[in-house]
Amino acid sequence: MMTVIGWLIGLSMFALMAILVVHVLFALLLIVPSWRIFERAGYSGLLSLFHLVPAIGPFIVMAILAFGDWPTGEGRPKQAGS
Amino acid sequence: MGFDVAAVLGLFGLTSAFALVALVLAGWMCWRIAEKAGLPGWAGAAAILLTLTGIGSLISLILLWVFAFMRWPRDSVALAGAAHAPMPSGMAPPAPTALPPPPRVLADRRGWMLSGGGVTLRFDDSRAAYTLTGVAAGGPDELVLADPSVGQPHARLLTAAGRIGLQDLGSPGGTYIDGARLLPAHGPRDITAARTLTLGNVELALSRT
Repeated sequence: MMTVIGWLIGLSMFALMAILVVHVLFALLLIVPSWRIFERAGYSGLLSLFHLVPAIGPFIVMAILAFGDWPTGEGRPKQAGS
Repeated sequence: MGFDVAAVLGLFGLTSAFALVALVLAGWMCWRIAEKAGLPGWAGAAAILLTLTGIGSLISLILLWVFAFMRWPRDSVALAGAAHAPMPSGMAPPAPTALPPPPRVLADRRGWMLSGGGVTLRFDDSRAAYTLTGVAAGGPDELVLADPSVGQPHARLLTAAGRIGLQDLGSPGGTYIDGARLLPAHGPRDITAARTLTLGNVELALSRT
């Protein structure tokens, strides 16, 4: 019985590690370009690490870029109320 | 109910209204991001809406990489006012012009550093422009790289709050930004995100101090 439980725990840990590795690898595909976009916008590239947050990470990144004032300037004039 | 919401959502491959809200929100934010980079807003929104296609998010991922490394129209607009014609060797450089400041700035007050070829050049945005030259001529805005392959002057560095630009002045040694040749006809280019500059045979790493 203990052997079966041990196997189940081992398999669960393996599955969790596999999910984590896949998540990090996929996040890296987003972090690299986002890092450059943040730097070009004048922010710290470290903000792109929000992509590591499961599910809502990309939305956090997009919100910072979409609603923050880019320190290096923006391509469109600021409008009142925007 | 004549209008079946579930059927419409199913038509687009969406599993819930939450996914639809997330998609609209992402499209809106990407619209704003594209506009800030000087691109048409619809291009950003369209990149997100491509996830509705059979290819899924692969195209959006590719477009993200393209967007990150492409030349943004915002950079061209900001630097257009600082353009100068190439200068023949031996003539005095024309009066430097400043980069127009960004509209709303949380300025990063750190300076910049060019290091390589045994020298380290430090500068900041206290001056609107610096001249990169191989031989000092006594000017207060000179950054001297004592190398025979570096022109006299070679290139001009333009600064604004948090941003720098580089303009080649027609030196035979050539100017390169991250390995890409910068010609005098290109005018000033934004190098804020550049890693290395090559002037003649001298390779310089660009970093913040």
